[in-house]
Amino acid sequence: MRFAPSAKLAAVIATAALALTACGGSSSSSESSGGAVDGAGKKLSVLTGVNSQYPEQQKEWFKDIAAKFKAKTGADVEFETFASANDELTRIQTSVVSGQGPDVYSLGTTFTPTAYATKAFVTLSDDDWKKVGGKDRFNQAALGISGPDSEHQAGIPFVSRPFVMAYNKDILAAAGIEKPATTWDELAEQAKKMTNASTGTFGLATGYKDNFDPWKFIWAMSVQAGNPLVDGDKLKMDDPTVKKAYETYFGWLTKDKVVDPAAIGWSNSNAVAAFASGKAGYLMMTTSSSVPTLDKSAIAGKYAYSIMPTTAPGETSPKGDGDKAASILSGDNVVVADYSQQKDLAFAYIELITSKDEQLNYQKIFGELPANADALASLTDPKLKPIADAAGKSKATPFTGAWGDIQLGLLNVTVQSIPELAKGAVDDAALEQRLKDAQAKGQASLDRASKS
Amino acid sequence: MSTDSFREMKAMTGPAAEGQPARSGTNAQAPDGGTSPSAGTGTIQPAGRGKKPVRRKGLSERNRPLWMLIPGGLLMFVIIVLPLFLGIYMSALNLDQYSLRKWVSAPFIGVGNFVEALTDSPLLHSVWLSVSYSLIAMIVTLPLGIAAAVATQNRFKGRAVIRSIFLIPYVLPSFVVATVWRTMFQPNGVVDSALGTFGMDAGLWLNGPQTYWTLILVQIWASWPFIYLLALSGLQSVDHEVHEASALDGALWWNKLRYVIFPYLKGPLALAFLIGMLHHINNFTLPFVLFGVPAPADVEVLPILTYVTSFQSFRFGLSAAMAFVSLVLIAIPLFIYLCAVKLDDAETPGGKK
Repeated sequence: MRFAPSAKLAAVIATAALALTACGGSSSSSESSGGAVDGAGKKLSVLTGVNSQYPEQQKEWFKDIAAKFKAKTGADVEFETFASANDELTRIQTSVVSGQGPDVYSLGTTFTPTAYATKAFVTLSDDDWKKVGGKDRFNQAALGISGPDSEHQAGIPFVSRPFVMAYNKDILAAAGIEKPATTWDELAEQAKKMTNASTGTFGLATGYKDNFDPWKFIWAMSVQAGNPLVDGDKLKMDDPTVKKAYETYFGWLTKDKVVDPAAIGWSNSNAVAAFASGKAGYLMMTTSSSVPTLDKSAIAGKYAYSIMPTTAPGETSPKGDGDKAASILSGDNVVVADYSQQKDLAFAYIELITSKDEQLNYQKIFGELPANADALASLTDPKLKPIADAAGKSKATPFTGAWGDIQLGLLNVTVQSIPELAKGAVDDAALEQRLKDAQAKGQASLDRASKS
Repeated sequence: MSTDSFREMKAMTGPAAEGQPARSGTNAQAPDGGTSPSAGTGTIQPAGRGKKPVRRKGLSERNRPLWMLIPGGLLMFVIIVLPLFLGIYMSALNLDQYSLRKWVSAPFIGVGNFVEALTDSPLLHSVWLSVSYSLIAMIVTLPLGIAAAVATQNRFKGRAVIRSIFLIPYVLPSFVVATVWRTMFQPNGVVDSALGTFGMDAGLWLNGPQTYWTLILVQIWASWPFIYLLALSGLQSVDHEVHEASALDGALWWNKLRYVIFPYLKGPLALAFLIGMLHHINNFTLPFVLFGVPAPADVEVLPILTYVTSFQSFRFGLSAAMAFVSLVLIAIPLFIYLCAVKLDDAETPGGKK
């Protein structure tokens, strides 16, 4: 026992030494050859989000891809995961400042403009695009948020996660509704028919306390009314269309009363649970990742997906490119770090994971739609059809580094209005004041973005 | 939570240790010897022994191998001083997502960030929220903790169990505490339905003006055992003879408590007050998990504001300025307080217990 501490210390030193030599070994040889990438003895580091829904499957997928990558290039690939966007941001910050870290990052689409603004990631040249299999292999709509314009793109689409709504076929049929709504006004009408407070059934299920959903509704309704929110370097949040959008969104709860009053405390997952228990006609703002939950629920086989309305409240037909704004352009992009010493290897990895077979495989395991055009076209499941449609009718949120702030501002209007929502009416003047504040803050942020 | 407090306790030894030599230094140069009543009797010199009174070094001060402080000092420098100065430097830069990559060459804007933080941001509101909520939570937890400590002072059957139960809120991670409370405070949740049976409609807990009190309530629940713990340690230091003596003098329980026992608790409770306040003001997990981001305006406390500025708006420079302003705001009362209570080390005689 007396030897224990020193033995432990020796063990620690030995492990540390081993770890050090291991690191040294991996970072040493780093010449890259043209043409086919020879990565023998090299190690690629990939940072990607942890899949909390399918953690085991994700580990399997890591192993599987690592083996295939080794067979293709001879190099190893090492996966690291982050649990939240904040984790990821911290990693990016430290890597950006120190100039070392993962070679490949996986980013959410709305985060891509912010990441692009740091200029820490490779803007792909034509040559680079060829290395990842050519631009043509991707669903062209998915490229909409890869960069500020088609010449400057850093994000390579990996999966699409368009937002749709799910509906309960039985409840719709019972209310005599033949097909799901295509305008927001029609949606409210249908929801009213389906709502029956005495049985606890409501027309719509959506969470007002969610961290993302509220701003997506406002964005969609504003864009469909012809207001892109960001017009050049001007923010248009004080526009009447935005206010109308908030009034509609809040109105479901206060005026139409088609949403469970408890929804002021709900996040998206609460809404999914309410819909899964058969208590709601529509589930708003959901993705294909709700399939596994719903298939195991009481309404398995009784639900279907549909694209969300594309006609703004108070309108009869979509304005501008509103019919292309059924959902925000959502999903994951992969980017290659600018400081990476093995970019060719990184591109070879991306070529592998965006190939048709791998994309279909990924879809089968995780339910996420492929960004690969061929793979997307080959999906046959009728349930996924509307979701694939929505992937083609997705519109990118404005590509500016200020978007994070604008999004926060849009969300904040809802957060600060919740007490009034609970009381049953949102004060008009208060709403206007909140919009004014958000406009001022967002505009300041946009000004900073345009200066740099 | 527990690790946080320990870290703070460790950090505390920094300023306290620095304060020590400085104080004895002034005593040595004072022409008529130590005047401060609390200064150690060992340092008092007979007056008028030449112009330069030579201070006799205490036994423990002779041939001190000060060089042995180097490793620790180096670590302190790297871990505390360097980041602090980096932070101050950052606060003078217009550092955001656009300039992050080459952050050293980010545009230097002097006090621009400070001006913006003080005039055009909710910083002062956040400071007010943070300080007031901490103070209220502290004032409520103090009697609770003392009462619990006094109640479990005398031996009775099951005392060990009760003492352990008292510590549960303290050992639970902040994250867990906040998650559980958030679930209970949901609209139509456990709390609402419990109050509903008494015919009360409490309104929203997690949004709106009431959030401020929600935060205080949860903070009290989570942190009173800390006071209890330190009060208990204070009670343990009361000698058996003291109890006996006061009993012989015929002191009844309240008088005994008020005039005999409480003075013993002054030191530990002062320390608990200080650490507790710092902990509350710095508490990020609780409001973050309870209310999320963006937080309702009524609970946008300092750590939340700094976090949002840094990691949602990516204004790193501005947020560094905010952090610095709040550091100064907290440091002023802290400094006054530290001087007032004089947390002494074991070697200095005459230090308050």
